[in-house]
Amino acid sequence: MRLKISKSIQVGLLFLPLLLGLALAIALQVISGNNPVIRFQARADLGTLALIGGSLLTFILLGGWTVRGVHNRSLKRSLATVLSETTLARRRFLGRLDHELRNSLTALHSTLGYLHGTSNEIDISRGLNDISVQVSRLRSLVIDLRKLADLEEQAIERQPVDIGELLKDVLETIQVHPDYNERQVRLTLLQSPWQLSPVQGDGALLSLACYNLLDNALKFSQVGDNVEVRAFEVDNWLVIEVADNGPGIPENDLPYIFEELYRGSNARGQPGSGLGLALVQTIVRRHGGTVTVRSRSGQGTVLTLRLPLGL
Amino acid sequence: MDCSHILLADDEKMITDYLAPILERAGYSVTVTSDGQTTLRKVSELHPDLIVLDVLMPGMDGREVCRQLRAVDNWIPVIMLTCVNETVDKVLSLEEGADDYLCKPFDPQELIARIKAVLRRRQASTSSKTISQASRLQAGDLILDRCARWVEVGGQAVELTPKALALLEYLMLNPEQVFTREQLMDAVWGWSHAVASRAVDVRIAELRHALGDDPEECKYIETVIGVGYHFVAQVEIAGG
Repeated sequence: MRLKISKSIQVGLLFLPLLLGLALAIALQVISGNNPVIRFQARADLGTLALIGGSLLTFILLGGWTVRGVHNRSLKRSLATVLSETTLARRRFLGRLDHELRNSLTALHSTLGYLHGTSNEIDISRGLNDISVQVSRLRSLVIDLRKLADLEEQAIERQPVDIGELLKDVLETIQVHPDYNERQVRLTLLQSPWQLSPVQGDGALLSLACYNLLDNALKFSQVGDNVEVRAFEVDNWLVIEVADNGPGIPENDLPYIFEELYRGSNARGQPGSGLGLALVQTIVRRHGGTVTVRSRSGQGTVLTLRLPLGL
Repeated sequence: MDCSHILLADDEKMITDYLAPILERAGYSVTVTSDGQTTLRKVSELHPDLIVLDVLMPGMDGREVCRQLRAVDNWIPVIMLTCVNETVDKVLSLEEGADDYLCKPFDPQELIARIKAVLRRRQASTSSKTISQASRLQAGDLILDRCARWVEVGGQAVELTPKALALLEYLMLNPEQVFTREQLMDAVWGWSHAVASRAVDVRIAELRHALGDDPEECKYIETVIGVGYHFVAQVEIAGG
């Protein structure tokens, strides 16, 4: 839209002298009819007219070509920006993947090296257990990465999903979370003047998205903090908010939290594959919705899912 | 002790070197191959009871090996090892011709469980094909046409969502086997998570309603309390 406006302004500017000249000529012609002092007369033979016509056409074509050039250069610049952003995001992702793999492989190498030099049964048992933990971690990483890739391609089931029931199930399932009992978890659903409308989508995937948000809120808040889950309708959108009054997300981390394998500066040492929010974003996008974050240092964080109604 | 002979076909030596002894420890005799051509030759030479077949192998891949076997009417049970997590309706398609599949990375104990289940199915089958290779399945007055994605009960067409149909297909292909919700999600949805296992209950409820199956006196799908579900009716290959 911005490009269109600037293009029409450019066209206007190019033809402005010509239009002004024409307007002046017409005005003079009109005035000269009744004014004996000013008299303006235009006379030309066919050849001169053809020459003027040709020059005008060339002028118009030249103007159009210049505008198109500017337009194309602007498009190319936008495309280059998008491409460089994609390349940068891809580089960041590969860097994080490299880091994750190196950590697990270093742990595996160290454990194997340790096992080679010991015959103590307790040490062997502990070493095998550590190997099993690292293998499980790598396995989860591979499964989650593939789930992300599958989500981009697979058709999304469109069945009516009762978000109220879904959120109640999510809260029930998450009760076994190690931090659940140390937080004040509350669910508020829009009840009046009407109940929440169903969303058309894949209930299993939407459950996973809500679970991941709640899991994050529990992980990154502290003992005694409130965690609120709210669902309501705004226009044609069903909105789900997961809010906590924990320490908040550092401002520098905010632009990246939905990127694959991104771990915020306060997330190091926390369990998880680093793919939870990337999965949320992909699931919500495939449902035609959005996910956004608001956070204030020392005050807390709100993650907001917006899902279209009546599709 | 089960003495079935397994042909293990995978080009990754690090996998076969450890998997073969694990299968032998479970009581099977094992022959290892590492490419499609050799696998086909060993099938005709050794007549194994089952093939564990990796999809990605040099030269002829696992899918082509399976297709060539089926093309000459060889219905030896095949468990396909895939790298892509495809859901049951895609992978157990009749074109593919495999009896079951496992997605890498997998737990060796899960492979042993699958081998046992497929061999049991083979022994229970009266025809040369097992039910997983048939296009139409029947259980009492319930008929499932796997190619047309069509279900009828007592001659009446039944409308099902794609997920419910895939779930019914998976349960009918594995009758008498009790599945947890997570296992059913893994097989039909291609992933599983505790929070989403209710999706299985929702589809089971849909199936029961559509098939007119009373959970108290079930004809088809039974709930195993604390575990999951299983298909209780006898499944046969339907004619037509």
